[in-house]
Amino acid sequence: MTIQMSQDNAIEQLKSTVCPEEGLISAAIHTDPEVYRLELERVFGRVWLFVAHESEIPEPGDFVVRDMGEQSVIVSHGDDGETRVLLNNCRHRGMKLACEDRGSGPSWRCPYHGFTYRNDGSFLGAPYQRFAYPEGLDKESLRLLGARCETYAGLIFATFNSSVEPLADFLGHMRWYIDILVGRAEFEVVGAPQRWIVPTAWKLPAENFASDAYHTVTTHAFLAKLGLVKGVDFGRRGFHVVPGGGHGLGIGVQDEGPWYPPELRAEYERNLSQEQLALMDRIKNFHGNVFPNLSFLIPNVIEYAGKRVTGMTIRQWQPIGPDKIQALSWHLVEKNAPEWWKELGRKVYVQTFGSSGMFEQDDTENWELQTRNSLSALSFAEPVMLNYKMGMGGEPLPDFPGPGDVYDGKYNEAAARGFYRRWLDLMTEAK
Amino acid sequence: MSAETSNAPVGDVPAVPTEALTSESPPRPKPVPAELRLAVHDFMDEEAELLDERRFEEWLELFTDDVVYHAPVRITAKRGHREVIDEISHFDETKMSLGLRVRRLGTDVAWAEDPPSVTRRFVTNVKVGWGESSNEMTVRTYLLLYRTRGDRGTHDLLSCVRDDVLRVVPDSFRIARRRVVLDQAVLGTKNLAVFL
Repeated sequence: MTIQMSQDNAIEQLKSTVCPEEGLISAAIHTDPEVYRLELERVFGRVWLFVAHESEIPEPGDFVVRDMGEQSVIVSHGDDGETRVLLNNCRHRGMKLACEDRGSGPSWRCPYHGFTYRNDGSFLGAPYQRFAYPEGLDKESLRLLGARCETYAGLIFATFNSSVEPLADFLGHMRWYIDILVGRAEFEVVGAPQRWIVPTAWKLPAENFASDAYHTVTTHAFLAKLGLVKGVDFGRRGFHVVPGGGHGLGIGVQDEGPWYPPELRAEYERNLSQEQLALMDRIKNFHGNVFPNLSFLIPNVIEYAGKRVTGMTIRQWQPIGPDKIQALSWHLVEKNAPEWWKELGRKVYVQTFGSSGMFEQDDTENWELQTRNSLSALSFAEPVMLNYKMGMGGEPLPDFPGPGDVYDGKYNEAAARGFYRRWLDLMTEAK
Repeated sequence: MSAETSNAPVGDVPAVPTEALTSESPPRPKPVPAELRLAVHDFMDEEAELLDERRFEEWLELFTDDVVYHAPVRITAKRGHREVIDEISHFDETKMSLGLRVRRLGTDVAWAEDPPSVTRRFVTNVKVGWGESSNEMTVRTYLLLYRTRGDRGTHDLLSCVRDDVLRVVPDSFRIARRRVVLDQAVLGTKNLAVFL
């Protein structure tokens, strides 16, 4: 079978086995190698992807190395002050230019033949250039390939798709909620992301953060057993948000008033609308996913060392093959927060989420074994369909202050259905 | 745990020849006397055994109440640049937070470790020195942690260096400080549901 034929075959399969509006989705889509190959091209190659937070490259010359799909890119704060996302790929023989995770400097020199590039992506020179290329080199053709790059609320996104809509349109209604998440104050990444390998298909954690408050009852049952949270309702009370565009989030609420340090309030007031601030004050937890693979979380406020604290995280589910990801988990904190909040927030983040987090451990367990079972579904003649029907037929609230379809109560799977609808549209559109 | 028991020997942790330590007056002999080094070796081996046997409550007793236990994040950097990012960690613990982790493992809903991983900790390259105060020792160890679970015959290996400060208590030690630096910048294990 030719590649084209197997691709066409896969697309036909998807059309008949991914039915978000019916609440039915085939298990095989998570690990089918053909589907994954298509995803790299049609999902990761077509939409805006998160690459870094501005605070990771504060000074001119600073850069971090990240992946978009499976392509390595350099996120560069150029000497001219501009942020660029450049393919980490020498124009001479395609060798990787920056092999470190991050650094700072005016240029990158290819380890293979020494082609050197300025941190704005322009070609600077090559060794013995006048002897090697007596006829001259077309410097413009040697400029590093650059992605389109735009920033929202400190989050840097990029895409190699020249015809994609502006980032603001891509985020759409999700912007209102991202404002609350990271636009409410100046945020900084603490240190660097934790990174670890999880044997899971990338969509499973993305879907979980976008849509799944229900799993906490069972997966994170230890929470009630340890008495860490007062009045555990496992995220039942709150809102389930489908902003469109494949994005999704859940907002748990409480009535005990604001949970953040009062010193930060003035900054929040400057950056948020009245409605956003009112919601902010009621947040108990806040989780979601920016399509396709940028997730975020303000975990439940817990009593910790005599204070009520939470430690915020954003993360990326970076695919490295159909059944494996690199998880990148950043801890962010308000730059102008009091020191106690920064210290306890960091400790709570590490304790609850991230590589050793008490919650995260149990999540990885689920995702790994779902992925394993998806592999076995590949060999079945009849598709193994999974149930995504929770909340179907429900009506969105008529008067919620934020945009998008917002449902009362967090137990719902509408955001997961929205995620797979967007995914399916991208996968089945030729261009 | 109660205050009365916190200084008593734990599990099979051997008695320490404390007479070598109680003298307040430096200079303390260099190298550290063999007998004392051996006691530190034994203590580290016992600690590894408690973890591998999943005797977490007893393991927790090996730490002082003011313990600082952290495992900073490593990055891949060019030579001459910082490779360990102390601002953020894989573990960022106090006695209280370690206690929470241990309590979690004691519930019947700690799925990530139930069924539990089988672990084997190989503690080597033990380097013992005198601590800053007269009742403290330093010990650097290499830890190779073998972890296996499930039905695929696979395992994870976590290799790290640990810098500990041990405080001398009657007949034993307590760990007052532990800094673990893992060798992998990107951890090849799906979670750190195991202690280092």
